[in-house]
Formats: sequence, C-alpha cells, structure tokens
Amino acid sequence: MGLRCLPDNDNRIVLWRNTIKLFHKQIKVNYTGPFFAAGYKNYRIESPLSERDSGKERSPDIFSYGPNGWLVIELTCDDGESQRKQLDDDKNLDPRDLSSQYGWPVFATAPDTVSSRLLFNDDGDHCQIVVKDIFDIKKEQNIQDNLLRTELTAMRGRDLTKLPEIPFSLVPEMKHYEIRRGLVDIVIQIFDPKSQGKTPNQICEDALDQLFKNTTSKSREKLIRKINTEMEVLIRSELAGYLEFKDGKYRVTEKFKEYPKTRQVIALKLQTWARATKQRTWADFDERA
Amino acid sequence: MPHVNSFIEMKHLFQAGFEDNEELLSRFGADYSKQLKAYLIESNLQSSDIPCPKGYGQWKKLDADHWHINVGDNSSGSFFLDSTRDRVWILYSLLDAGESDTAVSKWIENINGLDRCWLSRSQLMHYGDVESWKEKGIGLKFIDGLTPEENAGNFSLKAWYGARSQIEGLDNVLREAKDKFAIYSARWQKINSGSVSISAEWYSTGKVTINKADDVDDVMLSISEMANRYEDAITKATKIRDNTMGSFELNFTQTINLDAFAQAVSMGKSSMNLWLVETESEQDFKRFRGVDLHTWDRVFMDVGPDYAYLTVPGKGCVNAAPRIATVQGEDNAGKTSIYFDGVEMFA
Repeated sequence: MGLRCLPDNDNRIVLWRNTIKLFHKQIKVNYTGPFFAAGYKNYRIESPLSERDSGKERSPDIFSYGPNGWLVIELTCDDGESQRKQLDDDKNLDPRDLSSQYGWPVFATAPDTVSSRLLFNDDGDHCQIVVKDIFDIKKEQNIQDNLLRTELTAMRGRDLTKLPEIPFSLVPEMKHYEIRRGLVDIVIQIFDPKSQGKTPNQICEDALDQLFKNTTSKSREKLIRKINTEMEVLIRSELAGYLEFKDGKYRVTEKFKEYPKTRQVIALKLQTWARATKQRTWADFDERA
Repeated sequence: MPHVNSFIEMKHLFQAGFEDNEELLSRFGADYSKQLKAYLIESNLQSSDIPCPKGYGQWKKLDADHWHINVGDNSSGSFFLDSTRDRVWILYSLLDAGESDTAVSKWIENINGLDRCWLSRSQLMHYGDVESWKEKGIGLKFIDGLTPEENAGNFSLKAWYGARSQIEGLDNVLREAKDKFAIYSARWQKINSGSVSISAEWYSTGKVTINKADDVDDVMLSISEMANRYEDAITKATKIRDNTMGSFELNFTQTINLDAFAQAVSMGKSSMNLWLVETESEQDFKRFRGVDLHTWDRVFMDVGPDYAYLTVPGKGCVNAAPRIATVQGEDNAGKTSIYFDGVEMFA
C-alpha cells in the first residue's frame, strides 16, 4: 500500500485546493479545470450576497459566473451532514448583487448550485462533486448550464493529486498537524535577519491570506489559540533555543546563524514537527481518531 | 567625474560618450568616453525614500521630474536614476562594468523592496519582432547546479553571429542550444539606412550595455520601451495574484532531479536562493513551502520533473516569478517559460 493510501491530514486544504483549481488551467500536465473550460474564470471566495425578499446577507464559499449563467459552490469536509438546506437557500440569492457589488453581469435565472466534498453524501437536488484524488460527479442533471454540465461530466475520473497550491494555508476548522503544516513557511519567515518577530495575530492573518477579512473574530480567536498551542510545542521541543515567545511575539534567538547547514537542520526539524509526508507513518491514523 | 547639472546636460554627456567627443566630454569634467550601461530595477518604494549605492554620495534632483543624479565624494555623475515609472526604474551608469555591477548588486541587496528586473526569453528576444532590429548574438548558460560539482555538466556559450555561415551546421547547433538552455544575454543591432545606429547587449538580469550608438534619444527610447514592457508585465501579474488563487506555471526544457532540488532548497543553497521545507512527496512530484531568500517573501512551490507551480501568498512581490524562472533556468532547468492559465506571462 503506497503513501497515498494513508489518510490525508490536510483534507480541508485538499478540498479547497482541488475545488479552486477547477477554475484554472495548467499546460504541462494538460489540465483544464471544467469551470475554466466552461468560461467561469472569475470567482469570489466567501464574499457577501443577499437573499431575495429577506435581504439576509450570506457568504457562499465560492461563487462565479460564466457566459451562460452563474454558480454557487459550498465546500464541506463534514461527511455526516447534508448541505441540502444551505444549497436550497443559495438558489434564492439575488443575482442583482453580482452587478451592484462586483460589476459582473446579471442573470435572470437562479444560480447553479454545487456541493464540493471529499466523500459523497446526499445533498438533495443539487450537483455534487467529489474532489479527493480523483474527480467524480453526481446529480449533474441538476446543472442548468449545458456547457458547464458537459465539462464537469468530462472531468470524471481525472487525477487531482498534483494540482498547484492555493495562497492560504489554514482554514479556521483545522486541527493539530494540519495547522503545523500550514505554518511552516510563516515560521521560516521569522528567521529573516530583519524580522521583528510575529505576533500570533500576524501569523493567523498571514496563514488565512484572502480568507482573513471574511473570518469572524470568534473564529480567528479560536484559530489563534490553536496556533499558539502548536507553536508552543515547536519552541519547547524541535526549535528550542532557536525560537522564543517574547513580548507577545514569536522571534528568533541569537543562537540562529545564517549558515546552509543550520537552515537544513531547521528545515528538517520543521518537517518533523509538521509531520510532512516523509515523516508520516501508520501512526498518523491515531491523530484522526 | 562628470559635472552635470541638468537633464539636458546628462543627455549631452551620454551623446558625447557615443561620439567619443573628447572636447565635449572634457567640458563635463569626464576624462574619457565610457560605455553607457543601464539597469532596470524593480521597485516597491518611492525614489525619495532610498539612498544612493553605498559610497556614491546621495541623490540630487535634476531639473526634470523623476530624474536624479548622484552627488558627493569624488563620484558625482556616476549614476542617473529615472524613476518615472512606479514599479520599474532605470539606473544609468557611466562607471566601468565591474565597478558598476558590484555597486548595483550591493545597492539592491541592501534595500528591501528593490530587485532586478529579470528578463524572460521573450523579453530578451522581443526586438526580433520590431522593425529595424537585428539579432547579432546570444549568450546561453546552464550551471547544472543540482549536480555535485565533480559531475556537473555545465554549459556556457556566447556566440556572435558574424561568420557563422563559414562553419557548416553551426546554425543548427546554435538553434538546438537555444531551445534547450536559458538565454542570459542577447545582442541586438538597430539598422538605420543600412548602418548600425545602436548596438546593445541585454542581459537576463535586466542590464543593458550600449556598445555603439548614434543618437542618445534613440538609445533612451529603446531602454524605456523595455522598462515599460516589464512594468506592464509586473502590473498584470500583480493583478492576477490579487484577484485569483491561481499559480504561476514554470515550464522547463531540462528534467530536474527532485531529490537534489529538495536537498538544495532545504539549505537555501545554490543560486536559486530559496529556503523551502518539503511538505509532500511522491516519486515525480514534491510540494514545498518556505521563503525566497532574495526578499524573505513566502513562496509555495510544487515541483515536477520538468515544471513547477509557484504561488506567492500574502503581499509577496510577484517579481519572484520571473526571478525564480530566470535563476532556476540558468542553474538547472534550462529554457524556462512562465504561464498563467495557459497564457504566457512576462513575454
């Protein structure tokens, strides 16, 4: 059994990455995402729209438009809960906001609604795409845009494992090793000789990237607590002596010298801390329990 | 060192250098003609905020908007800065190449927010599409930086196209080498009425040396045009980074050894200057996260045998894309092109 059969601990990032990359194209590996192919090239993440009649504000995970219509996608890692209600509500989003808020065309029809998951679950009368490793689609008959339906269907069976990363490395619901892997580059950045260190809030903002402005303060606080928990482990064990928490910031100690060998030691220690692929073992099953 | 007090005097000085006009040169206090060089500088700063290259005094405004001359010490008039554009400045120099290159390198290294303009193959070769310009030579480079020194298959070639027809098959060799390796310099001539009006060599590091020229306006216009081209490209790339979650795709002609790449970047070693941690690995694909040591901006790189995806999160400067493409191309990846959603960038 190969490495890829191990449970993927970064499943939230995989879900987001593999969904977002359906809007893009890569030449070398001859990959064209179905949304890109159907002309859905502009998209927004967690941006506000309002419901018809009630005017209630909602922020779908992703929405987009193409030449023939518009589209709302909800992402979930929760294999037990149906997205039916949320997607039903998405059908009632007011298309006039596309123009007044974002300068996009207005459509007379309700949006196509899609749930994106890592495993199949029944989300009612809405199209469902499964984006873990291999692309799959169910209930495609619910897509009104014929071109989009054709492109999504043609995508079935396509390998998604080697698509590019996305700019954010954390989402608020992440846990333990997911968080650590999402912090690796941010920790390295603290070693910049000109760095004054980073506060937990700065780390959170860096990691959430474009998601930061749409994340509630409650979610941010919760995430910051989780970041601090994982960073404490790092400065107490793997990078003890190299990193410290002082005056509200994570910063480098004087022990760090900019030599290639030192950098390599730090890189390996971060790999160990984050349990990056090379270090993963069957024990990783335990962390999901 | 030349005594220049105005924009027009600067141009007269450059012109006197092209003509090797000793009388005019001496009027500016210059003792002999020096080859004009210009460096395209990618900037995220205001020109008023930055010092001169170290040891060259300070900037003084010329009488034309956005133009500065260095003054002080014995070095006045060594550098002229054109900061007309927000993102791409042009630094003209009349120093000897070695001194000038060193001063500019240190200047860029010491100031956060400055970088070179890393010219892509398409940018270096773009005069080929412009009337009156003729390609006269090329420089290719392959360091083989991922292979241990004793086994490295370095390749370096500098060819002037003078008498190539006298060696049978040379054209084919050059064409093949050009398709396989990174171009680090290209020599161009502008022909007017049958004679050479500009002879210039452009480098992938954004430098140009003017080997011969008739007219200063003609020269400055050709340099400005390249600066405009680069600024347009960097503006477009920034907009893409800000508005989408796509990645830049770097396509190589050489196959790279992924384990050797991982080893080099874990130490921040090699000319690539990337310090990355491997976060996922398969036989033919690895993911890395870390920083670009040129700027300490965060970068994500997903690397296959002959391609890489580059994601620049946060407010990181997208100049990382052409820089990494150029440096990695010359170090280990050969001819490298940058794409976004299937469209060539920095072209």
